[in-house]
Amino acid sequence: MSLTRRNFIQMVPASAAALALTNGSSAKAAEPIHHVTVLGGGFAGCTIAKYIRMWSDGEIAVTLIEPRPKHVSSIMSNLILNKRLKVADLSFEYNDLQLKYGVNVVRDKALQINGPEKLLKLKGAGWISYDSLVVAAGIKFDKISGLDYKKIPHAWIAGGQSNKLRNQINNMPDTGTFVMTVPKAPYRCPPGPYERACVVADILGRRSGYLDGTGSTPPRVIVLDANDGIQAEKGTFTRAFNDLYGDIIEYIPNAQVESVDSDDKIVYTTDGMNYQGDVVNVIPTHHAPQVLKKSKLTGDSGWADVDPVTYATTNTLFQDVYVIGDAQGTNQPKSGHMANAQAKICADSIIRTAHGQSSYTEERLQNITTNSACFSPITYDKASWLTAVYSYNPDTGSMGLVPGSLGEAHNWSTGNFNDMFDWSNNLFADTFK
Amino acid sequence: MSAFSTGLSSKLAIISAIVILPLNSAIAEDPTVNRMIASQCAQCHGTKGYARGSIPDLGGDEAKDQADHLLDMKGEDRAEDMMDHQALGYTDDQIRRIAQYYSTLPESGDD
Repeated sequence: MSLTRRNFIQMVPASAAALALTNGSSAKAAEPIHHVTVLGGGFAGCTIAKYIRMWSDGEIAVTLIEPRPKHVSSIMSNLILNKRLKVADLSFEYNDLQLKYGVNVVRDKALQINGPEKLLKLKGAGWISYDSLVVAAGIKFDKISGLDYKKIPHAWIAGGQSNKLRNQINNMPDTGTFVMTVPKAPYRCPPGPYERACVVADILGRRSGYLDGTGSTPPRVIVLDANDGIQAEKGTFTRAFNDLYGDIIEYIPNAQVESVDSDDKIVYTTDGMNYQGDVVNVIPTHHAPQVLKKSKLTGDSGWADVDPVTYATTNTLFQDVYVIGDAQGTNQPKSGHMANAQAKICADSIIRTAHGQSSYTEERLQNITTNSACFSPITYDKASWLTAVYSYNPDTGSMGLVPGSLGEAHNWSTGNFNDMFDWSNNLFADTFK
Repeated sequence: MSAFSTGLSSKLAIISAIVILPLNSAIAEDPTVNRMIASQCAQCHGTKGYARGSIPDLGGDEAKDQADHLLDMKGEDRAEDMMDHQALGYTDDQIRRIAQYYSTLPESGDD
């Protein structure tokens, strides 16, 4: 089955186009000057869909293709483990994108991109054409021998997996052993695994009474890090691991997972060691998703190489194909906040292209920035934060960390914990609403 | 007293130069570039500059006040707060552009 672009647009509900616009006129919606297809309804995909519609005054049509009916934010999802939040609190449907911004949302799964022909293969609709294609499809876990996610949850793509891990922690002995792994960098959410170690140490430390002195036996949280050291908020997590949770957390660097026994809950590492837990949480190393790999848009790194001026793939056989968010291969941190940031740079570039304007004006090249900000819960009611700004360097053609902009909280606090909710609520709104 | 007066007039002259230059350069500026830079603040301060919770709104603020505020943060001897670090991530010209963009938005509205 082959669909033309026009046919494909006609497939989607007419209501979306009719209710379309924030600022533009319905006449503009009837005959879009350009059609952008977005793969993936997470932070990157939703941000670019919203911003292209908003900034183009509805002149550009956007179809967002996502297999799931809603997105569950992985941001804040470690708070599902300690029951501060539920999956529903972090779930975002696509109603606002459709009704407020006129994004056509189609439930389907992308399988392959044919760059030279400008065709996209969908599981349901078959081959369709596109003007511009934005791939914002997140990550795919590398395979690990013996690993069964039904028994050993990753909980690194939030949702049912988060609940599964929460329930396992809930049912484990108060002074039992929790074993978790940190993937090889680069991975999604650099502080996230260390944050999780703290959240779990807090849960078990409170439940056992060890943290308030009513219990004498500490629970154990063993952190097996594939990297040679803590990857983010090093000062904060070093203090939390050594001081606050010194008797609970055992941090082991350079521990790479070889295989997993999912029934007996044992992690085997490449250095011949094995670690058994009452609960085991393996976060596998990950890379760009299959649709990019199969389309040969990933390089040796396993991520998609892009030009950060536009986020267009560097594979010249694929014209008008862009990759944003976790799957792109620049040196920027992989996070929802950063995915949102990249989406806006890419949106601006696509709008320029649709209007026949260059993205490479001197003025624009001097002003391409992205930033990251995030908060990490360290205890039940205290959090730290991390922030950084990246700027485009025309001499190197890459994004670089701006000196002085990288900073982390001097300490964890309840003030930071409260700020964390303001930050995430605003980020969710800027992305999904 | 005279020293104070001299100092003050020098400061006024510098302030005038700072105020006049951006006004002149703004004429040639691409407003979509300002919008692109400023959109990087929206993750926390709201799509249109109206933030939820305790994070400050930016929409409708006087451009000079907002730029001065950011430049003060950038000039801290020791960056303490998240925004001190964020301000260090932008050139003075980018800060001026961000402030210029948000000053053009209405003071209140939906996020």
